[in-house]
Amino acid sequence: MTPGARPAGGPGGATETGAIRATGLAVDFPLRRGGRLLALDQLNLEIAGGEIVALIGPNGSGKSTLLRAIAGLLPPLRGTVELDGVPITGPDPRIGLVFQEPRLLPWRTAAENICYPLELAGWDAERRRRRLAELLDLVRLDPSAVGSRPFELSGGTSQRVALARALALQPEVLLLDEPFSQLDALTRERFDLELLALWERSATTTVLVTHNIAEAILVADRVIVLSARPGRVVADIPVDLPRPRTLASLEDAFVTRAAREIRAWLGESSGEASAEAAVPDATVADTTVAGAA
Amino acid sequence: MGTRTVLPVAAALGVFLIAWKAVVVIGAYPVFILPAPEVVADRFIRAWVEGTIQPHLAGTLQEILLGFATGAGAALLVGYVLARSPLVERLISPYIVAAQATPILALSPLLVLWFGPGLLGKVVICALIVFFPVAVATMVGIRSVDKRLLELGRSLRANRRQVVLTLEIPAALPSILGGMRVGVTLAVVGAIVGEWAGADRGLGVLINLARGSLFDIPLLFATLLTIALVGMALYLVVVLLERRFVGAR
Repeated sequence: MTPGARPAGGPGGATETGAIRATGLAVDFPLRRGGRLLALDQLNLEIAGGEIVALIGPNGSGKSTLLRAIAGLLPPLRGTVELDGVPITGPDPRIGLVFQEPRLLPWRTAAENICYPLELAGWDAERRRRRLAELLDLVRLDPSAVGSRPFELSGGTSQRVALARALALQPEVLLLDEPFSQLDALTRERFDLELLALWERSATTTVLVTHNIAEAILVADRVIVLSARPGRVVADIPVDLPRPRTLASLEDAFVTRAAREIRAWLGESSGEASAEAAVPDATVADTTVAGAA
Repeated sequence: MGTRTVLPVAAALGVFLIAWKAVVVIGAYPVFILPAPEVVADRFIRAWVEGTIQPHLAGTLQEILLGFATGAGAALLVGYVLARSPLVERLISPYIVAAQATPILALSPLLVLWFGPGLLGKVVICALIVFFPVAVATMVGIRSVDKRLLELGRSLRANRRQVVLTLEIPAALPSILGGMRVGVTLAVVGAIVGEWAGADRGLGVLINLARGSLFDIPLLFATLLTIALVGMALYLVVVLLERRFVGAR
């Protein structure tokens, strides 16, 4: 994490690749009890290549659904999502995904989990080994942990493994779905800063779904606020804090103002939907189970 | 295994043998009703030394292994299809259940009539009896694969073959091996039942000989002991496979 070491044209400035644009996006999915749920509607969003943004919204606002639509896991009902100007029609190797839970294969060691995407992509053992070494370094994973099975790893280490797996194929876009929400507050702050450092070293467009306002401000160039279901963008708040950021950045007077603004938008968008807050967010389990039924 | 496990096991075996001997002595049973343990042990050793058991054991083992491989192999395929296609499940599961509900003992004369008194008939009987537990275990195992892992596979663009080999089979393996534990002991039953319905060699045939023309009840017990040991050995193989492939998760 060297201050000011960002390459020119790297993160913070627009790059040619990794730009995401959603236009008039609507996404729905079938419910287990029948019928369909409209999770997103008329959503427009533009993220420049190399940018880092946070997606925030009330429960059930379709944050996870938007992430899955960008990842090509949910087909749009209306509208399009484009990556570098080309519509996304399915899962794409240029997009890496980190889920809310580490989602490691329990029968594989940490190293085998990290190399799983490489294996599926047909890399030979020697190439996988070399990439593994790079990835361990990139996510600062203790090499002594790589031979362990997931059940032997701490929550933080597991999520580091998941991050390495998502980065394995050198994606242009990294999507993170509340990746640190299951970690304790201190570990979470450390991971936020490491994510920032990682983003500063790579040129990866990064989209972080969170429901933590401080986390959103600390990490992002822009905080995008979604409305209650069906979700659309209600506010797009630029975070004008100098980089590289540290925890001290959160003491800036700007942060209080931005947090107040975000909270106001969140209150407004969830006010009418507070009764709906009991409905769980469009979680993976819901969508995939319903999708398979 | 340390002394802590060996000791209780040895003690339990000792109690069993003493109780057996006590029943023989107190009841004053003749040897053709219930031979004493040492008589059986003696006959067991003699039968092995004289080579009475080996050819029959070889025949039975061949039936068991071929039958198990065929039955379990078919069960893996069918179990997978049943798990993934609700339509196929509704169409064919009644027949599978009906076949399972019919005692194999009642079916075996018919099967021997159809497939002959040779190896084929026994393999079919073994395969049939192994099929059900393994198919059900496979179906349950494949159905309960974590949907989130399948989504991970999809996001990484795993093709059909990769999903089956790297996600579904490893995830379902504990369940499948559980079905195989049951299946492998049933395969022993299938082979013996098949041999009773008509055969010229095998441990089932040896039992018939010992009880009938030879009238050598200690040999009958020695054969029973062999059958039990075969079942235990096969079960142990599956357990070891489980330790190797499922062990720590």
